[in-house]
Amino acid sequence: MDCTLLIAVALGALGVFLLLPRAQASWRKLGALITVLVGGGGLFYLSRWAELQESAAPAGGLSLYFYIFAAIAVGSALAVISHPKPLYAALYFVILTLATSALLLTLYAEFIAIVLIVIYAGAILVTYVFVIMLASTPGGAPAAEYDKVSADPLIAVLVSFLLLATVLQLMFHVSGPGSPGFMNTNTGLHARALMAANLGYHLPQFSGIKTPAVGGMAVLGRNLYSHYALSLELAGVLLTVAMVGAVVISRKNEPPAALGSGELPTE
Amino acid sequence: MELMTNAALYQYLALGAVLFAIGLVGFMSRRNMIMIFLSTEIMFQGVAINLIAFARYHLNADGQSFVIFLLSVAAAEASLALALVVLLYRRRQTLNIDAWSEMQG
Repeated sequence: MDCTLLIAVALGALGVFLLLPRAQASWRKLGALITVLVGGGGLFYLSRWAELQESAAPAGGLSLYFYIFAAIAVGSALAVISHPKPLYAALYFVILTLATSALLLTLYAEFIAIVLIVIYAGAILVTYVFVIMLASTPGGAPAAEYDKVSADPLIAVLVSFLLLATVLQLMFHVSGPGSPGFMNTNTGLHARALMAANLGYHLPQFSGIKTPAVGGMAVLGRNLYSHYALSLELAGVLLTVAMVGAVVISRKNEPPAALGSGELPTE
Repeated sequence: MELMTNAALYQYLALGAVLFAIGLVGFMSRRNMIMIFLSTEIMFQGVAINLIAFARYHLNADGQSFVIFLLSVAAAEASLALALVVLLYRRRQTLNIDAWSEMQG
């Protein structure tokens, strides 16, 4: 049995465990080194594996951009969870959002990519930064004790990387290449092409299927407003309820002095 | 536009799983309430990558529609969570989640 994947995940778990905020800061550098090595090795292994699959069944190209932005995304995600100062973590999260939206662009989801930047980097992150500034010690103060030392890093890393190992093992070994379920030769290609043609996508290599050239955004809009019209309205209701709830929850709980006293203020 | 290969799909799925695991580590190990909720946003991003990758693989807009809903739920969650954080900070003057560990049902 091929244990490379499990060993890589275990090493990654060790690296992340050392990287998490702790009292002895020197261990964090070792953790960062291990994590970078494992991450780089993992990406290299993934690219070799993909090349192998491509040579078995060539179709389409593998994008170099995927590896670049995947490295940026994973690195900044690790920085978010391990940086002792919340404000810097929030800024690293902006980098993660930009890398994710670049990855979505490689998947031809241009509308979602822009929406991700507008909503996450523009709206949600600004709210986070405001709350961080509202609820933190005045400038120049060192990071709080609860930010410098993490709680139960061993249990957290064990549970998460056990989940990751299970998922990756299932993906690459149980249902992966060599098993009957894996579509190694891209079976169903024609069926998928037909389905795509029905949705209005233009596929040049399937010249037998004539379709109008339609971009992804028009397809998304049609799908959203025909199949999911009711759900879209419900999403609007959800946002309204959340907004009202947030206002009610965060309101200061002072007795309204001017109201309800029934008397006009006297001079 | 070309059809996506299985190998390419698996790469994106693996990346989504890694981002989800990283977010889970942050969710369980950080003690700052704001950082806990920021970690959930990392998990959301991993799931969004998965959904878009499947949408691209099947050339089907359903996955992208799901991400629109995922984003609206994430926005609602963030606003409510941060309102709660502000409320709790006002009560105890700390963001430490352990300050509320004696809280019961």
